[in-house]
Amino acid sequence: MSREGVFLLVMSALPFLGALIPGLMIRAGRTACATFAAVPTALALTMLLILAPSVMQGEVIRVELDWLPQLGLSVSFFLDGLGLLFAGMILGVGLLVTLYARFYLSSDDPMGQFYTYLLLFQGAMLGIVLSDNILLLLIFWELTSLSSFLLIGYWKHLPEGRQGARMALAVTGGGGLAMIGGMLILGNIAGSYNLTDILTQGDAIRASEWYLPALILILLGAFTKSAQFPFHFWLPHAMAAPTPVSAYLHSATMVKAGVFLLARMWPVLAGTDAWFYIVATTGLITMVLGALIALFKNDLKALLAYSTVSHLGLLTMLLGFGTKFAAIVAVFHIINHLTFKAALFMTAGIVDHAVHSRDIKRLGGLRHLMPITFVIGTVAALSMAGIPLFNGFLSKEMMLDEAARTGWAGSAWVVPALATLGALLSVAYSFRFIMHVFFGPVRDDYPAEPHDPPFGLWAAPALLVVGVVLIGLVPALVVGPLVAVAGGAVIGGGELPYYSLKIWHGVTPALFMSAAAVLGGLLLLWRHAPLDRVWLAAPRPEAKVIFDRLIAAAVSLARRITDRAHDGAMSRYLAIFVVATVALGAVAWTGGGTPPPTRGLQPVPLVVAIGWALLLVAAVSVVVTHRSRFLALVLISIIGLMISAGFVYLSAPDLALTQIAVETVTIMLLLLALHFLPKTTPIESGWFRRIRDGMIAAAAGGGVGALAYVFLLRDVDTISGYHLENSYVGGGGTNVVNVILVDFRGYDTYGEIIVLAIAGLVIFAAIEALLSGPAAARIRNTNYTQDRSRDRHPLMMVVATRVMMPIAIMVGVYIFLRGHNQPGGGFVAGLVISIALLMQYMASGFAWAQARQRIGYHTMIGWGVLIAGLTGAAAWLAGRPFLTSAFGYVHLPPIEEFELATAMAFDLGVFLAVLGAVMLMLYSLSRIARYAGETQNADPMDFDPSERKTDPKEGV
Amino acid sequence: MTSADFSTVLPEVLLAVYAMAVLLLGVYGGKDKLTGAITWATVATLLLIAAMVGFGSGGSRSAFGGLFIDDAFARFAKVTLLLSAAAVLAMSQDYLERRDMGRFEYPVLIALSVVGMMIMVSAGDLMSLYMGLELQSLALYVVASIRRDSAKSTEAGLKYFVLGSLSSGLLLYGASLTYGFAGTTSFTGIVAALQGAEQIPLGLLFGMVFLITGLAFKVSAVPFHMWTPDVYEGAPTPVTAFFATAPKVAAMALFARLVYDGFGPVVGDWTQIVALLAVASMFLGSIAAIGQRNIKRLMAYSSIGHMGFAMMGLAAGTAAGVQAMLLYMAIYVTMNVGTFAFILSMSRDGQPVTDISALNLYSRREPAKAMAMLILMFSLAGVPPMLGFFAKYGVLMAAVGAGMTWLAVLGVIASVIGAFYYLRLVFYMYFGTETEVLDTRMPAVQWLLLIGSAAAMVIGVVNMFGIEGAATLAAEALVR
Repeated sequence: MSREGVFLLVMSALPFLGALIPGLMIRAGRTACATFAAVPTALALTMLLILAPSVMQGEVIRVELDWLPQLGLSVSFFLDGLGLLFAGMILGVGLLVTLYARFYLSSDDPMGQFYTYLLLFQGAMLGIVLSDNILLLLIFWELTSLSSFLLIGYWKHLPEGRQGARMALAVTGGGGLAMIGGMLILGNIAGSYNLTDILTQGDAIRASEWYLPALILILLGAFTKSAQFPFHFWLPHAMAAPTPVSAYLHSATMVKAGVFLLARMWPVLAGTDAWFYIVATTGLITMVLGALIALFKNDLKALLAYSTVSHLGLLTMLLGFGTKFAAIVAVFHIINHLTFKAALFMTAGIVDHAVHSRDIKRLGGLRHLMPITFVIGTVAALSMAGIPLFNGFLSKEMMLDEAARTGWAGSAWVVPALATLGALLSVAYSFRFIMHVFFGPVRDDYPAEPHDPPFGLWAAPALLVVGVVLIGLVPALVVGPLVAVAGGAVIGGGELPYYSLKIWHGVTPALFMSAAAVLGGLLLLWRHAPLDRVWLAAPRPEAKVIFDRLIAAAVSLARRITDRAHDGAMSRYLAIFVVATVALGAVAWTGGGTPPPTRGLQPVPLVVAIGWALLLVAAVSVVVTHRSRFLALVLISIIGLMISAGFVYLSAPDLALTQIAVETVTIMLLLLALHFLPKTTPIESGWFRRIRDGMIAAAAGGGVGALAYVFLLRDVDTISGYHLENSYVGGGGTNVVNVILVDFRGYDTYGEIIVLAIAGLVIFAAIEALLSGPAAARIRNTNYTQDRSRDRHPLMMVVATRVMMPIAIMVGVYIFLRGHNQPGGGFVAGLVISIALLMQYMASGFAWAQARQRIGYHTMIGWGVLIAGLTGAAAWLAGRPFLTSAFGYVHLPPIEEFELATAMAFDLGVFLAVLGAVMLMLYSLSRIARYAGETQNADPMDFDPSERKTDPKEGV
Repeated sequence: MTSADFSTVLPEVLLAVYAMAVLLLGVYGGKDKLTGAITWATVATLLLIAAMVGFGSGGSRSAFGGLFIDDAFARFAKVTLLLSAAAVLAMSQDYLERRDMGRFEYPVLIALSVVGMMIMVSAGDLMSLYMGLELQSLALYVVASIRRDSAKSTEAGLKYFVLGSLSSGLLLYGASLTYGFAGTTSFTGIVAALQGAEQIPLGLLFGMVFLITGLAFKVSAVPFHMWTPDVYEGAPTPVTAFFATAPKVAAMALFARLVYDGFGPVVGDWTQIVALLAVASMFLGSIAAIGQRNIKRLMAYSSIGHMGFAMMGLAAGTAAGVQAMLLYMAIYVTMNVGTFAFILSMSRDGQPVTDISALNLYSRREPAKAMAMLILMFSLAGVPPMLGFFAKYGVLMAAVGAGMTWLAVLGVIASVIGAFYYLRLVFYMYFGTETEVLDTRMPAVQWLLLIGSAAAMVIGVVNMFGIEGAATLAAEALVR
């Protein structure tokens, strides 16, 4: 690393390191604090001056350190003419502001904090102008937003300060974020994130299709920072900051960052129509608008703020013209604006300090009371007005010269006319500053006795005003080389266009425009009072109000959207969910490209058609009648039955058996559970919503149906083949469903019975909690007795179920045993026996049946899971993985040869668990019934004919 | 189960065994009297396991015939989620205890859901994917409604459960379609089935769409995000903090795992969907948060927006994108831990406060904490030079690098909109108007986490604590 490189690095780090000092030094007193705050700035400035000569000779100093290379981020700085100009401004004015602030801040203000923020801000600004890596630039860019937020909000007690800080932060921070996108695109096009590389890729960037988005995003960043129309409103409101801050941020640094970026990016972005029309037009509008508003502002600082907006517009316009000459004029004007505007802000601060008012209407006649301030302020304001012999005049002449040659959308007069108007207004408000503050009669109602400030306070502006005069008199000598080298950097190398920095250019159109501007401006000032009344009476868009309204509107819009989308209604959430899924499905459908169908439709026999119609009718009826819950349940059972029938028809008896058993058990349990719930669902939504929801549901159903239809018409490679082939060979069974359950997917089944067992236990526990909780009272007080059958345990049913009991159990055992090869299995067997028991309970009443029940359901479930688990674990003994099944054939003489598979033991576990779980659920439900006051029967039936002999009257 | 399998899943097994042992201890021991001890023990266990995973052997291993994969990607995600879970648990203890909400089941449920998350990020098969997902979700359903006496909390839990079931159903539908057409549930098998085909078969495409839909719910991507604001608001704040951190990492990692490991050969088919979800999430997250007054609800929308950004990394479909996504998640979690540490401490007269106007002029009395929050908010907004900017920048660059400049541009616009409400919080703290003040009390753990995470946002800028190397390895392990 070269010596220059090290200097560059240290220079950019100095303000940040220095930011620690004021906080420490404040204990040593205010002067010490200010002195030490100036040390890092002074050091950095010295280094810059050491580097300056080689830069002035056209050299570019670079330094690079790796940081996060994966992100394309490196710590790299470079110093060229433009960087030198800006770094000099930042450090130079920084030094002056440090001095000024020492005397400006009152003893109540926490000075250490102030200098810390100031140095942080200075470091961030320095980073912007020196960064080579655009990401590094972005980081510093946002750091300025952050530190300026702290500076603007420094006086927390002022409400305007709060507003200003918030607006500045929102606008510039947001713009900076937008710029990230632009920079990313730029880096992507150029293939590098180094400015020095990007600057060489101008043609590629301008030709790229992403040029316009990149341009707009970057301009958003630059325009918000430089307070360009329509983002100009934040700057005047940031004026609540202490004056040293205003002088620093709004003359030399922060707002110039946007202009700096425009200048920096000039070689790659400028020169297109888009650039000209966006940038130059924005600049023109801002220049005129800012000047116009400035003329009617009564707050000194607001006047200066709007004049700053106007001058920034001027700079933007010049850069927007896209000609090399205009770019050089812009560089020149940057220097000039810095000198007079910083001096003016400091003057305003001095006046405020001395008179305790910044209101122009309460000032006037100060020229005798504050002679030094008068001289400084007047010279600076004359320069701002563009009066010859001061530097503002030179750059304004060159600007008008360029404007006179620029056409806009085919019209030759728009730009010159508006530029002259801007200059005219500028003259008017500059003279207003002089006349209304310093001239006029001496008043006797100043809020405080006006007096000239101590030397420390006027030294800094005085120095700046000396610069104003020197540049105005001998421009080529004082700033000629700097303008040349900085301008050269802006236009990206190559020949400098012809220009000359001198006072007299001969009789040119610009001279006439200038003269018109001065005369018109004075005229305007002369008629200021009536104009002011017109201005106050005229309706005009107040940008801050608009901003506030926009924000309020945005907030309320956002709130409305949110309230509509998230109203807390479950149905809405589900609707959004379903609609989104259907939409995604539709996208997939169109995007997937369906192959042509490979199968035709099967013939539809009458039986199938009837079944289908039944299914359809039942399904539609459920939807229609779902508010009447029992009816819906009956209809649902029809659907279940039809599906079972469908399985039978499609030669899947095992599935049919399972389905029908599951169906029966669940319907029975649901019937019991529904008994304790309201019998109907109330209507809670309007018809419109019901229709809409119906359509959503239909769309979802239609989607699934369509999907099924498409798949069924095409031959697809499914997994059933594998299972069909391997069921017997691998699992020793021909009932594929059962083999899948106990063998191929034994793990799942094991898991499932555990889940089922847990479900049974949870229902038990939940009802336990229910009966001991607050809901118990409600259950107790509800009358469940309506429509009670007078014949609850009829004789016929009791007898029939008792007769059927052994048969049903036999069927269960049979189904269990044949399960491995024929339809059946432990799962179905468990359900069948559950049904047999359920029937007993229904026929004879719960209490009677329960009294005859010997095995606890909890135990049954436990044994089921245990047996299944142990069977699986037994495979370990044979050195096989968990749940590997083995099978063999046993021949017992009286019975035919039958198969003995370990899977059978597993099946037994399944059987027990299913039976136990189902019965436990039944038991739990019956507990509610008994709790609710259901009468218990000690006898198996309501009327027992065998007891009639003893007492014929009883039981009737 | 061979010993090699066992050693691969050792961290998960240890944590699961620990959770069950502690559950038994809680039931038969002192119940809620043990809550404090169990919480701290769980924190220690989570940290221990994080160390075990983090400093364990490198390379890629798989167990149970590919059901479970242990690679750099899984380890990165696991360490992130373990650490964040430990942090959230540690900082919520005081809150729960003071409000008499300290149930001993809480840390146990957290531990169990973390086991689920660890399985999720290591899933190499649709089966283990679903198992992990449900283990996590079931624990979260319970945790969301752990305050049974609060109607809001119960409602939130119920909503989460119903919608979660729907999403699980969709996920299963997708999984069965995938299984039906690929003939296998293992990711490698699905990849093999896709490799030959020039166009993705319709069945697999639908399977993938529904799988993505199910996962989108878990990461709360728009339009499957509806549960997020309600649950965030309704659940007790420590639970909200947990929801905003570890589960998000796990779900996002699982998302990446599925689309890259399972559907890697058809990148083009899913990047569009993911990009769509990303854009919708970023915008809704940014816009909807503007209108929020409740800071927990605000953070819900903020998390939706952030998930959108993380998904932008996924949508890029490149290794750089995955790396950016992982970094994003790690940084996001750190920021959220800090922010929620602060939200947990927000109270007035001992009562929790969630209205953002309570922050008015907070900086006057608590400059250090306010500064920490300022840093976190700037970081969440993605303002340079905070670490949050690098997170955002990484995914933006990944999108641009993958030729999805439009996505990056939309992301930038969304982040500009989103910055508004973060900055508004800062504004309230620094300026605002005079209102009733917040209590200044803040337990040491919360204070440490708040300041620590804020400091990380600033100091991390130097070299991101070197985690981007780990993220690169992780991304390389996933995108081959």
